[in-house]
Amino acid sequence: MVEKQNVKSLGIPKNDFLAHVRRSLGRSDRLDPSPPYHRLAEDLAVLEEHAAEIRRRLEDKRSHLLDQFAETARLRSWNLFRTTNAEDAVGYAVELARNHSISQIARSDQSVFSELPLDSALQSSGIECVTVLQDEASSRERLRSQIIESGLGMTGADYAVAETGSVVVVPRRGLSRLVSLVPPVHLAIVRIEDLVESLDDVFLLRRLEYYRNGEEMGSYLNFITGPSRTADIEMKLVVGVHGPKEVHLILLG
Amino acid sequence: MAEVKTQDFVAASGAAIEDATLQRALRQVGGGFNEARLEAIEEVSWEAWEQWREEARRIKVHALEHLDYYLELLYEQVTKAGGQVHFARDAAQANAIVAEIAQARGVKVATKSKSMVSEELDLNKTLESVGVDVFETDLGEYIIQLAEETPSHLVAPALHKTKEQVSELFHEKLGVPLTDDIEEMARVAREALRSRFLAADLGISGANFLVAETGTLVIITNEGNGRLCTSAPKIHIGITGMEKVIPSLQDLSIFLRLLPRSATGQRLTSYVSMVTGPRRNEDEDGPEEFHLVLVDNGRSRLLADPELREALYCIRCGACLNICPVYGKIGGHAYGWVYPGPIGAIVSPALVGLKDAKDLPHASSLCGACREVCPIKINIPRMLLHLRHRLAESPSDAENSSTLIERQAAKGYTWLMSNPAALSAASKVGRMVQKPFSSEGKVAKKVSLPLVSQWTAARDLPTLARRSFRQIWADELEGESETRG
Repeated sequence: MVEKQNVKSLGIPKNDFLAHVRRSLGRSDRLDPSPPYHRLAEDLAVLEEHAAEIRRRLEDKRSHLLDQFAETARLRSWNLFRTTNAEDAVGYAVELARNHSISQIARSDQSVFSELPLDSALQSSGIECVTVLQDEASSRERLRSQIIESGLGMTGADYAVAETGSVVVVPRRGLSRLVSLVPPVHLAIVRIEDLVESLDDVFLLRRLEYYRNGEEMGSYLNFITGPSRTADIEMKLVVGVHGPKEVHLILLG
Repeated sequence: MAEVKTQDFVAASGAAIEDATLQRALRQVGGGFNEARLEAIEEVSWEAWEQWREEARRIKVHALEHLDYYLELLYEQVTKAGGQVHFARDAAQANAIVAEIAQARGVKVATKSKSMVSEELDLNKTLESVGVDVFETDLGEYIIQLAEETPSHLVAPALHKTKEQVSELFHEKLGVPLTDDIEEMARVAREALRSRFLAADLGISGANFLVAETGTLVIITNEGNGRLCTSAPKIHIGITGMEKVIPSLQDLSIFLRLLPRSATGQRLTSYVSMVTGPRRNEDEDGPEEFHLVLVDNGRSRLLADPELREALYCIRCGACLNICPVYGKIGGHAYGWVYPGPIGAIVSPALVGLKDAKDLPHASSLCGACREVCPIKINIPRMLLHLRHRLAESPSDAENSSTLIERQAAKGYTWLMSNPAALSAASKVGRMVQKPFSSEGKVAKKVSLPLVSQWTAARDLPTLARRSFRQIWADELEGESETRG
């Protein structure tokens, strides 16, 4: 947890604000929802049970979901590469960097990379790879400028969602939010066991983690669904505004 | 608070229709958003869509009915995650909160992702007044900030601008060559803003949703500016209306399905970013401080009115703007305040005062298309009609939609129509008086009639018939039905 910063609450006191809301609702006293909202009444055991059901369903439907994910991901302009082979995945990454004449890559330090002989392959191709972390001495500022200079950002993902073609990233050590956002090309590597069917699945699994960790959500939860885009001028689609113009996804396993 | 020009609606909408460039921009957009929306719905089936709408509405009804409870829960959870929650009664208070945070920490540069609430508050002006350089980073918002204008659409703020206008604007303000390539314009904005992102000490965002269960702020964007604003600077301030709170993280799935499809026809936007408190010690990056400013600014008036409460269910997708025949003809600026279109015609009067926005509830043909497309099934036409009723019945002269003379005339007319003898006598006089002014059964256009001149400006007033129906009945028809019977 962060240290408690001693900043006082500004504006109108909470209780006055809430009292006014209550008066607007025609009440003078607090009236909690009764019965409580069904989702907020679920305890850890119930969530565990739901999660187990989800895992069984995902297991049963795995191959169907892989096809569904491939289709929705392509619709959202991911360049998708499916392989069971770690060497091929590394080959794809190196090839991608070469094709774009990229000399420096930034990558997050997620567990999927420990399964891939990536750093050595990049090194032998003369491509420098900046890893987020774990040198305590390296300052945030230096890391940030290294990410900005990189032509390709590589990340893992905690979930891939078949319904939407999204990858979902949860904070952890060795992971910078900027890696998937600032370089012009992003490559995400997803393990097939992290594939879920729907948004509901992701949120249920996150809620389970939340309660397991003593109500700690982590500072962010990011869904990435294709490249950065805009249609703010005359509704014409332009890809690559503040985020990457080109996004690749390796589905591994 | 943002400048209120809702009083000028009639003149402004007339001018909008005469504005050839605006009309070209509006035509270019045309039904594009709505076509994309329909396609996205058909993909999931209308049956599923209806179920989602029902469920989303149920969640909103519940959340607003217990708004005090969920705001308290949200407060606790944000605080527990290390964030600060501030409550603002009105625009001045909300602006003062943000200014105080910025000043106390010596903020020089702030980047902002799109936030309609900050437009409502005119937050940028306040920040500039305390020496903060504020940069809008959403492409559409950046364009209108450079042009010193206000947004004209909830989702696409620069919808009223043609690419030629954007090119000229960039040429003039940023010194880049003129171009007709939209991709090049986006690149120019990216370049111009990249250094701002890195220089900013403060990032400001709105919120599409606030999750009470976990204390999470959710923003939905396509460009990636929202993610940069909320993760690169040292301080993040989220500022939003108090009605955005939903109970559970799990409720989000339904809204994430409805909002992008309704707004742009997308299955999901490129980015959905959820923020819970500041960076934790083990995080590699992220803001050191997280503040959430919850704004009332007139929303409690909607909450307190059972007839209008459902306006607070709005998730600002803009679908009702895209389908509205009035919006499609006059664009967003004519509405005179931050929230345009059918939903704006309800929200704006509540926030700026009905007496200053009397014309807005009338800016609708009540065709009902807005209600049909609303992902939360908000009954917009019913509320517009309700506001018209209230305007017509208001005892306050400032608020009533008609003048005292008009009301007296209507009373006189009612009396006349319920007194046959008086009506008959008045008709006789009328027939004589109208003679010199009429031809071919119409009152001549050049005659300006009191009270009805606005009505007759675009319509012919028929003359009184030579014989009234009552006369024809008495002379020829009475008894016929029995004869035929």
